[in-house]
Amino acid sequence: MKSIRRPSLRTISTLALVGSVALVGLSSVAGAGSRPAAKKKPAPFTVKVETPPAASLSETGSTLLYPLWNLWAPDYQSQFPKVTLSTAGTGSGTGIADAASGTVSIGSSDAYLSPTTLSSNPTLLNIPLAISYQVIMYNLPGLTAHLKLNGTILTRIYLGKITSWNDPQITALNPGVKIPSLPIVALHRADGSGDTFLFSQYLARQDGSEWGVGNYGTTVTWPAIKNQLAEQGNGGMVSGCAATPGCVAYVGVSYLTQGLGDGLGYGQLRNGNGQYVMPTAQAVALEASGYTKITPANGTISMINGRVKGGYPIINYEYAIVNTKQSSSSTAKAIRSVLEWAISPKFGNGHQYLSQVRFQPLPLKVVEQSYKQIQKIK
Amino acid sequence: MAQVLPTGLPSTRGRRARAVAFRVLMLGALAFVVGPALWLVVGVVGRALPGWRWNVLTTLSQGTSGGLANAVVGTLVLMAGVLILAGTTGVLTGIYLSEFAQGGRGVTVVRVAIDVLAGFPSIVLGYVGYVALCVGLGWGFSLLPALMILSFMVVPYIAKATEAALHQVPTSYREGAEALGMPGGHALRRVVVRTALPGIVTGLLIALSIAGGETAPLLYTAGVTNNLPTWSLLHHPIAYLTYYVWTDWNQPTAAAHVVSYDASLILVVMVLAMLVVARLIVSRTQRHAESAT
Amino acid sequence: MRQRASIDVIGARRDESSSRRLRRVWAQREESLWRVGGRVATLVPVGALVFLVAVLAVKAWPAVKVNGGSFLTSTAWLPGNTYGGVEHVHGVTIPAGARYGAWPLIAGTLQTSAIALVFAVPVSILTAFALTEGLPGWIARPVGFVVEVVAGIPSVIIGLWGVLVLGPFLARHVYPLVANRIPDVPVLKYLGGSVGYGEGLLTSGLVLGLMIVPIIASTTRDLFLQVPALPKEGARALGMTDAEVARRVTLPWVRSGVIGAAVLGLGRALGETIAVAMVSGSVLGVVSPNLYGTMTTIAATIVSQLDSAATDGTGFAVATLAEAGLLLAGISIVVNLAARAIVHRSGALGAPVGRA
Repeated sequence: MKSIRRPSLRTISTLALVGSVALVGLSSVAGAGSRPAAKKKPAPFTVKVETPPAASLSETGSTLLYPLWNLWAPDYQSQFPKVTLSTAGTGSGTGIADAASGTVSIGSSDAYLSPTTLSSNPTLLNIPLAISYQVIMYNLPGLTAHLKLNGTILTRIYLGKITSWNDPQITALNPGVKIPSLPIVALHRADGSGDTFLFSQYLARQDGSEWGVGNYGTTVTWPAIKNQLAEQGNGGMVSGCAATPGCVAYVGVSYLTQGLGDGLGYGQLRNGNGQYVMPTAQAVALEASGYTKITPANGTISMINGRVKGGYPIINYEYAIVNTKQSSSSTAKAIRSVLEWAISPKFGNGHQYLSQVRFQPLPLKVVEQSYKQIQKIK
Repeated sequence: MAQVLPTGLPSTRGRRARAVAFRVLMLGALAFVVGPALWLVVGVVGRALPGWRWNVLTTLSQGTSGGLANAVVGTLVLMAGVLILAGTTGVLTGIYLSEFAQGGRGVTVVRVAIDVLAGFPSIVLGYVGYVALCVGLGWGFSLLPALMILSFMVVPYIAKATEAALHQVPTSYREGAEALGMPGGHALRRVVVRTALPGIVTGLLIALSIAGGETAPLLYTAGVTNNLPTWSLLHHPIAYLTYYVWTDWNQPTAAAHVVSYDASLILVVMVLAMLVVARLIVSRTQRHAESAT
Repeated sequence: MRQRASIDVIGARRDESSSRRLRRVWAQREESLWRVGGRVATLVPVGALVFLVAVLAVKAWPAVKVNGGSFLTSTAWLPGNTYGGVEHVHGVTIPAGARYGAWPLIAGTLQTSAIALVFAVPVSILTAFALTEGLPGWIARPVGFVVEVVAGIPSVIIGLWGVLVLGPFLARHVYPLVANRIPDVPVLKYLGGSVGYGEGLLTSGLVLGLMIVPIIASTTRDLFLQVPALPKEGARALGMTDAEVARRVTLPWVRSGVIGAAVLGLGRALGETIAVAMVSGSVLGVVSPNLYGTMTTIAATIVSQLDSAATDGTGFAVATLAEAGLLLAGISIVVNLAARAIVHRSGALGAPVGRA
């Protein structure tokens, strides 16, 4: 599985190229309304949602996807009352293991399957369902500005080399912002997590020299530094940060509202292009479109530290993990129907669901690829 | 006999100091235990009450919103199952250890096994259940593996409490029963076990409380479902309150937090109700017993 | 009972009805029924332990082969790059760079459990005294309820309280009182130094202590209640103070039961997972330099790492966690046998006074 290793220089430059192409593409899409549609283009791809037979399905896994599944499940079931779909938030690794062992129908995961998992479970698929991103939050009372942060500074914070918020390296990056002289408390996840996977990848790709280029995963060995705390779950990160002035924490975007309510702020991050970007819906969509063309058919790709102009650098696909070999064809059909419904822009991938958890819809090409993967479930 | 605070203090200075220190320490220790306990209970109640709605008890969960009927029923089913499985096994084990065991290596093995079992991390128990029962035997997430694993977990508490309680029954009671010509088994049931009942019930209560308060082993054996429990022992996941306590606390929405607070409150009230009912039953059976002071 | 010949006074009667005979036969058989039932029941805990250890051993075997003896002494906890390449060690496929050592986990487990016991045993015994002798019944009964309710509060709630309320409170207001007064000399300096932000060794030990107090205290209280009044009254009549009665009469009477309860509490402390995972700071690969530092235990590591270990497709991470579970069972057995030896020496397992 070469495609999911750290990108080589070539992939990075391809990426940059693709990014700019996508930008052009995007602007042309924006203008498309006024122009007559191109003649020879095939009709845009639409998702056909199968009508499922009676079935009882279960989903477990990512706690980040859990609220979205809880929005999806009742509406799907009211459209197709023959299916009961029970949801659970247990953690991505458990979702993968459960899907592999067949104890549940659908696992969900923030991270794609590792090459070793795929080689021991060759019938597992990771199907992109939606796009999520990560924000860097901090508790600096009185500060309203969005601090500029980058991989180097965050690395040094988590290595214990930068210990105060008014460290010259931070103030130099944020001229004109009055940063309080609080000691920095670095929060990390105590449990293994897809969020740690994303964040450590960002550090590794922004500044591998200090962090270590291969030092990423759902669990990393955090150096023991004086001012640090470990928290269970994203909820623990937010409440722990709220209780600790001076903290910095990496948090899944669904928790942004809760964090803001608790008085936390969030930063701009430097992307692979050197720009500092706010985590906005537009910046995420931009970044996603930059990755659309290079997303392989099996959906396995990291979208971290991309060189897309104006793109936010920590975004990811949220995945459904499903075994292609199901116990019966009727179960398989019901699973296909649920997933088709979920990726369909008309239903599950619609704004009415995704906006509630601040996720972004899949680009249409990725929807098509996910649809093709779904058809493999038999 | 009612206890009253003793009024007189001894005359020697050293003894008096020690007597006062004992009383201070006693109340201090009590404060150490009761303070945090009240803090916790008040916290649980205070968080849940403002958003409390009674229909939580009658509607099914939708994960991060909705009611908790499925989890309440599921928890009750699990507790009842544990009471039957672990209760029988634990009490019988305790009786055997106290009344029949002759010592020797076999009995030491049983005792060590009990203590070690109590020290097994619940998550490891759950994981073994998952690997061997749910996946290995193909039982899936269901009631039976959950009950087995929970029972393994709490049998030590019941057995130990039973043994300790039986051990404290005065020899004079046994001798009295014997002198009256009661056959051994009858005396055991009517005199010894009955006298030791408060201790045995304490063990059962602690065991049920622990079983009701566990999350990790259930997540790996019982699974989770938003539906009511079915009557089947295998292949159907079952819901329980602790899942919602933890998972929904860790969710970003206010609605989910309400679910979490409600689940905690219900759990604590259930434990409290269990304690009260059990103590009432015990005090009825003990009315004529004279073992207590 | 205990090999005593029972005197059968009814047995000699002749003209009894059949139902009466049935009752008599039942009465005579009942004892053996209890005996057989009890013996069968004792197979359950033993069988359960064998089952658990066997399944764990099978799961852990690859990790035992790869990690070797240095698992007990090494401090490394490197999951390796699960998304990178693999290596082959002793015929086992593992993620490149994966290295595991459990010494910090072992140290953390023993330290937190020791703190918990040091806190919980005296507090539990004194609480039991307060509940049985120190307070009038109308207040002792509700207070007793409160103590037992703690056993029923889910560990996650206690953990949340520990990490959001108790830990920060102790770190801000209590720990500095001690830590700032400790001179920088060997041994003592373990009590000083940085107190951190409330997650760490002492907080974990105290939270564990609180969790096992109900187990020890409620058993102890029941034992105290069963001490006959006569010897206590006699001691008082001789002019003994409450403290002296407690120390010389009540406590010796129930010693073996109290020790049994303490060992059970220790078991819970060794094996508690989520609450410790929340307040320990969950730092992998480090032994805390002082009493307050962040650390982790075997059980807490297993609960917080099991999910992400499942993403290691070689299965090595899960195998290592299974090995850590086995290790904990081993520690538990050793601690238990040691406790037994100590108790045996001091003679506390002998029959209590009332059962000569």
